[in-house]
Amino acid sequence: MIEFMFALAIGMLFGIGVFQLLRRDLIKAAIGFAILFSAINLFFVAVSAFDGEYAPFVSNVEAGRQTSDPLIQALILTAIVVSFGSFSLVLGLVNIISLRYGTVDSNAVNNLKH
Amino acid sequence: MEFTLVTATPFLLALLLVIPPLKDLSKFAQTAISTAAMAGMFVTVLLTVPRLQDEHIIVYGIDWIPSLDIGLNFYVDGLATIFALIVTGVGALVFLYAGYYFDDAAEHNRFITWLLAFAGSMLLVVLSGNVLLTFVAWELTSVTSFMLIGFTGEKSSEARAGAFKALFVTGAGALALIIGLVILGVACGQILYPEEGIRFVADISEILQTEDLHKHEWFPIFTVLILLGGLTKSAQFPFHFWLPGAMSAPTPASAYLHSATMVKAGIFLFARLSPVMYKNALWSELLLVFGLATMLIGSIFAIKQRDLKGLLAYSTVSKLGAIVAMIGLPGQNGLKAAFLGIIAHALYKSALFLVAGTIDHATGTRMIDRLGGLHRQMPVMFLITIISALSMAGIPFLLGFVAKETLLDAMLHYSEPQTALILGVVMASSVFTAVAAYMLVYDVFWKPARQEIHFHQPPSPIRLGPVILSLGSLLLGVLVEPVIVPLLELAVPKEFELHVFAGFNDVFWLSVGILTAGIALFILRKPLIKIIGFPLSGDSVYREMIAYIDWAGENILHSQSGYVRYYLVIILGTVSAVLIASGTLTTVTAGKSLFPSDLSVTIIDLAKIFMLILAVAAGILTVAVREHVKAAIAFGVIGYAIGVIFLIEHAPDVALVQLLVETMVTVLIIIMLGRISTSTRYHVINNLWVGRHQRNFGLLRDLGISIVIGLAVFVFSLIALQNRAERSSIAAWHLENTPTVNTEDVVGAIVANFRGTDTLLEIVVFTTAALGVLTLLARGRKGSGPLAPRNADVERLHEFDVDVFEGVQDATDLSTPFTRSVSTVVLPIAILIGIAQILYGGSGPGDGFTAGVTFGLAVSLWYVVLGYHEAKRQLPWFRPALFTRLGLLIALLNALFPLLLGKGFMGHVEFDKALGLYDIVASFGLHVNSSLVFEVAIALTVMGGLGIIIEAIAFPKEVEPLGED
Repeated sequence: MIEFMFALAIGMLFGIGVFQLLRRDLIKAAIGFAILFSAINLFFVAVSAFDGEYAPFVSNVEAGRQTSDPLIQALILTAIVVSFGSFSLVLGLVNIISLRYGTVDSNAVNNLKH
Repeated sequence: MEFTLVTATPFLLALLLVIPPLKDLSKFAQTAISTAAMAGMFVTVLLTVPRLQDEHIIVYGIDWIPSLDIGLNFYVDGLATIFALIVTGVGALVFLYAGYYFDDAAEHNRFITWLLAFAGSMLLVVLSGNVLLTFVAWELTSVTSFMLIGFTGEKSSEARAGAFKALFVTGAGALALIIGLVILGVACGQILYPEEGIRFVADISEILQTEDLHKHEWFPIFTVLILLGGLTKSAQFPFHFWLPGAMSAPTPASAYLHSATMVKAGIFLFARLSPVMYKNALWSELLLVFGLATMLIGSIFAIKQRDLKGLLAYSTVSKLGAIVAMIGLPGQNGLKAAFLGIIAHALYKSALFLVAGTIDHATGTRMIDRLGGLHRQMPVMFLITIISALSMAGIPFLLGFVAKETLLDAMLHYSEPQTALILGVVMASSVFTAVAAYMLVYDVFWKPARQEIHFHQPPSPIRLGPVILSLGSLLLGVLVEPVIVPLLELAVPKEFELHVFAGFNDVFWLSVGILTAGIALFILRKPLIKIIGFPLSGDSVYREMIAYIDWAGENILHSQSGYVRYYLVIILGTVSAVLIASGTLTTVTAGKSLFPSDLSVTIIDLAKIFMLILAVAAGILTVAVREHVKAAIAFGVIGYAIGVIFLIEHAPDVALVQLLVETMVTVLIIIMLGRISTSTRYHVINNLWVGRHQRNFGLLRDLGISIVIGLAVFVFSLIALQNRAERSSIAAWHLENTPTVNTEDVVGAIVANFRGTDTLLEIVVFTTAALGVLTLLARGRKGSGPLAPRNADVERLHEFDVDVFEGVQDATDLSTPFTRSVSTVVLPIAILIGIAQILYGGSGPGDGFTAGVTFGLAVSLWYVVLGYHEAKRQLPWFRPALFTRLGLLIALLNALFPLLLGKGFMGHVEFDKALGLYDIVASFGLHVNSSLVFEVAIALTVMGGLGIIIEAIAFPKEVEPLGED
């Protein structure tokens, strides 16, 4: 049941992110971009951590408790920071476009070669 | 060992020369260093000759890719030694010459750096014992030669075109070469190791032991491919046209690369492979045909040239053709003539090039028609030219004479039906070469100039290089028996004799005939030049081809619509098609129902479901609300909801990072919104929402695409979740081994220890992203802001003069006494929290990342509340770029330090135990080890990166709007 709910939420968030990217408003597109990252991170945690009942600490391991999978958590940790870096790059792009073109309407932005 | 040194020295020196203190040395000192280095290498190679005479071949190496049985090998025999001597010997003189050729010290420094890199690559080509290594070096010579041909590319479009042409032709040839070498290696593997499957033999010593290679069924394939590589590199017809184009290089480079070394790489390759290839007639015939054609065409074109360097370039093409043809002579009978030709040509042609460069330097022109009468002004150069040009023509007792005699002798003894034809081609070409040589002496130096030439005397030491080279042509001709013969004996597999004068035999009379015919043609040269022409040049074919490539590129570009939806549909379509066609979906889902059969939920599950609903609802809100600020806040809610889910899923570290980063992202969006004017933003809001009824189609289309993608992701996740593995197979290992690094938090141990290299790369990526933001936003600024140079520090005082920024609304409405005091209080607290997270990162959630982000949040609060300038003034110690540098440096040193202790890259070092302080430190719950140092480095880097991003986004600036252009 919970798997189904997770999948549904991931799918919906992903769809929302894609929709934002498709629209012409660049600021919302940037937000949509970040929502995509969130959906992916959510997917990773959903895939990894179901059977864990305790945080992955050595004391929990030594007490013989079932901990969650630490490797995928380290992966998500890395993913969050890197996606943050690329997101700020997107923000910078939107920012510079808005300043140079005087609009955040993607249809009005042309000739990015220059 | 000495060969490793010889190959590494040029590269190391090139690296050292681009940084102080060597960079700041005078031109004279740099010349002395580079010349001495090359001369030292020459002597080193020379000293190995006695050892080679005993052992014949020196092979050694180290592991490179042991799993593929590929080593970083050196394979040194007579052939390699001859080439290495040319590269280092001519190299030393060229470096000496370059010191006086360039007037500008910075230009000189840039030039010799590239030239050194080239020399190293060329040495690697000839000394390498592994075809893959040879190939890498081969490509390096192309790249460095590109930099040298296009050396004046900033000013001259001709130099750019020449450089591109050379890179294009030799690069295309290299593609054929690598394919050919791989096929050859596999063929050798089949012969040498028939019992193994596919085995790629890259070792040259093994390849040369493959006796039956010439019988292999793939022989024609790899032969043609390897020939393509070598013929393009050695400027053989019809690929010869790049070499005259390469004359836009500074003359020392032309002398070195395009006469003595790089163009001989192809020849080296042919000679290297000759022992296993020559037994197949295809190899010999192709080499003969291409070589002879090139020899004749090059020599005819040479005398048509009006540019002195053009003449030399085409005569080089001709000589290279002769050498290729010699290597192609059946039964390896031409090898002696080929090697002798290589040595003679290197000596006289580089001397002539250096003379040409000096003339150009002194008179400002290289046009033969405008030059003349230089024998009075440049007597030494005149003498050098006489010796070198006559060596080129083949006048008795010069080295060139011996070389040509040997060549004619080899041709005469080539007993095939076509001998007469071949001999005729060689004779004709030699006559034209003699004409070119006479023209060099007479037209350039002796005949009176038509008009007055502006002349200034070049510095005297510039003569030294060409003098030594021409002395070489003179003396080695006489000393051919004691000096050249022992060297050639190392490289030529047969018994042979060489004499400076072999007597009045057939060959001698042929020689005399050539020289006399040359004089006759020389007298008739003016009408002759007029009738020489060739309807189709390789150059025009090349230009046509480039035009087609451009045309194809333009057309491919048309397929790029620039609309995101277009790309998404293609990506989604491809992924779906692949998934469905490969049948992956059906095998994964087999036997399992995708839909839940068990509808029971626990309390915890309910909490998760609530958070999921919250996230999705907030997601819908980001679409539905009109104002961007509200959308940003709704987005923050998504992030927090997911953070809470992380927490419930027993991932406290992830949850902490997620919450912090989410806050940071939301803050950044809001700072950015403040930077974009309201009218700019409302323009798009009104456009998209008020006039919505007119855009129903677009809205429906986008909605449709996103629903399809959302559904696809939903199905994919559902399949993945229903079929997920219990847990990752190496999770148990990490759980067990975490105590060995004195850490309580397993995730922290993975980040800082077990997978530390990932983290190291990740902070580099993060920094790169931050620099990207900075670069984007720094465009259009004038000398201020985060990118400002350090010496602008003084001007910064002016920058903070309030008057200057009167018109700029910098501080925000948020700047109230309350928010100001809050931000003041929050920063030290954040620093404390950050330090605690670093120090106790091992024993609980939180680590370098979270510390960096916490700190970044506190600083961004200052920027939000106080505005850029006020924050910058109040936090003078906040130097993000410095933090980033320090962080990356510490991380790198921390990763390298264990190497000294033999623990491997990023090994775990316990400093507290090493210093005997373990118990004391541990009583505070601390462990001073490399993880801690790494966490500090991570924190500094993340802090610095965030600072750079915040400063770049918060910087109030005036970017000029795009003009009408």
